[in-house]
Amino acid sequence: MNSAALLRAISAGELSAVEACERAIARIAATDDKVNAFTDRTLDRARAEAAAVDQRRARGEPLPPLAGLPYAVKNLYDIRGLTTLAGSRVNRGLPPAQEDAVLVQRLQAAGAVLLGGLNMDEYAYGFTTENTHYGPTRNPHDLARTAGGSSGGSGAAVAAGQVSLALCSDTNGSIRVPSSLCGVWGLKPTFGRLSRRGTYPFVHSIDHLGPIADCVETLALAYDAMQGPDPLDPACHALRVQPAAPTLLAGVQGLRVGVLGGYFHDHASEPARAVVAQAAQLLGAREQVEWPDAALGRAAAFIVTASEGGSLHLEDLRQRAEDFEPVSVDRFIAGALQPAHWYVRAQRFRRAYRDRVNALFADWDVLLCAATPVCATLLGQEFIEVNGQRHPTRPSMGLLTQPVSFAGCPVVVAPLWPEGTQGLPLGVQIIAAPWNEHLALRAAAVLQASGVARPKESSL
Amino acid sequence: MNEEEVLAYVRATARALELPLDATRARAVAQHLGRTAVLAKALEAYVLLPDIEPAEVYRPAPFPQESP
Repeated sequence: MNSAALLRAISAGELSAVEACERAIARIAATDDKVNAFTDRTLDRARAEAAAVDQRRARGEPLPPLAGLPYAVKNLYDIRGLTTLAGSRVNRGLPPAQEDAVLVQRLQAAGAVLLGGLNMDEYAYGFTTENTHYGPTRNPHDLARTAGGSSGGSGAAVAAGQVSLALCSDTNGSIRVPSSLCGVWGLKPTFGRLSRRGTYPFVHSIDHLGPIADCVETLALAYDAMQGPDPLDPACHALRVQPAAPTLLAGVQGLRVGVLGGYFHDHASEPARAVVAQAAQLLGAREQVEWPDAALGRAAAFIVTASEGGSLHLEDLRQRAEDFEPVSVDRFIAGALQPAHWYVRAQRFRRAYRDRVNALFADWDVLLCAATPVCATLLGQEFIEVNGQRHPTRPSMGLLTQPVSFAGCPVVVAPLWPEGTQGLPLGVQIIAAPWNEHLALRAAAVLQASGVARPKESSL
Repeated sequence: MNEEEVLAYVRATARALELPLDATRARAVAQHLGRTAVLAKALEAYVLLPDIEPAEVYRPAPFPQESP
């Protein structure tokens, strides 16, 4: 049963929230030794939240939209009573959070049931969730492979059927890469759409929050439930809620759908090109479109990320570099040492880049490209090869996502299953203009209805 | 910058920021910085007129007046 069916069953009284919660707890117990998605389990809280949903029903009260839905959060979200690890050892010394992150509060108000915190790359600097402190998260479709990152625990938990919904962050691709590699639906909203208050930052200029889910309906419902202005978050630009669920099934008739060529074609393997072609055919997209200055957008995102990330952790890097993740500590230090000129130039470029990207959407409503250059790599694999070119794995899984998030556009990742990948998935990015998440979700719903884009049950 | 120059830069800026680095780490950091230098050089070639300001608290576009 996927989560849309689960929500209907709970709403109709055919299944209690407590039963749904116990099923999720049993699934986590049965699979997490293999997957290693969870770093914290909040089972007492989950049982209490589920019981509260059932009590509302018993009192005859109307149930909220996500009533009884099991979910978990990347461990950079504050969970009341737990220390916010952000994948690190360093943060273990911090006091427990006194309240939930804003988005956790909003999901609780919508009736969702929190089961715990999820593994991630340390401080979100990575695309593979090869976390030395908490162990690597493994891909539920092939345990020898990475689940992607930095929200690897989130992608794996949904793909393994442990929870139906997971909250994540995405700076350069950290929602979209695990969605692609684990074969689940992901939404990176417009930069500034959702409040980031109560989460541990990575790069203030580029951090986004959003959901991963097992179906498009739940992705849209959760996104809608999390929307709302937040005057206490200086980077939350949304002034009101713009619900996407009501138009989810409107189809793509009238939408101008294009396929990104150039950089996005050149950095995609054959299976990645194949899934884009498949999605393009289903959505009636025929024309190739050139995204302006994609390589420079990626370069600038890389520089801004390194500078802000390195600066954020400079004091700990001075005092206790040996406590950092060995695979990323040198990158953090290199970022802290970058010349100011590189950073300022990247931020000036971003303003010009925004105007050129936004101009593209005068002619297009939705644009398609692959989410990752290749499917899931083996844990520990140092290089990937794309069209005869060798790239270091850890930074390069974001080659196709970084130019898009640097512009701040909303993206839905659709899970497709190309041939020639030993049964592994590879996602397609459905990109819309800023504040047009609903258009990307409409296209996603069409792909889901075709049966081509969908999560597949893992053999766990 | 060649490899030696990057390494010298790493050592000098680390000293300026009071960030201790042993020889092995300094070389590893220099390797990363060298890769980023290639990206920075590409960005250097992009024409930015003087009136282009850095992105503020970044907004991809104004929040719309009307809901779609």
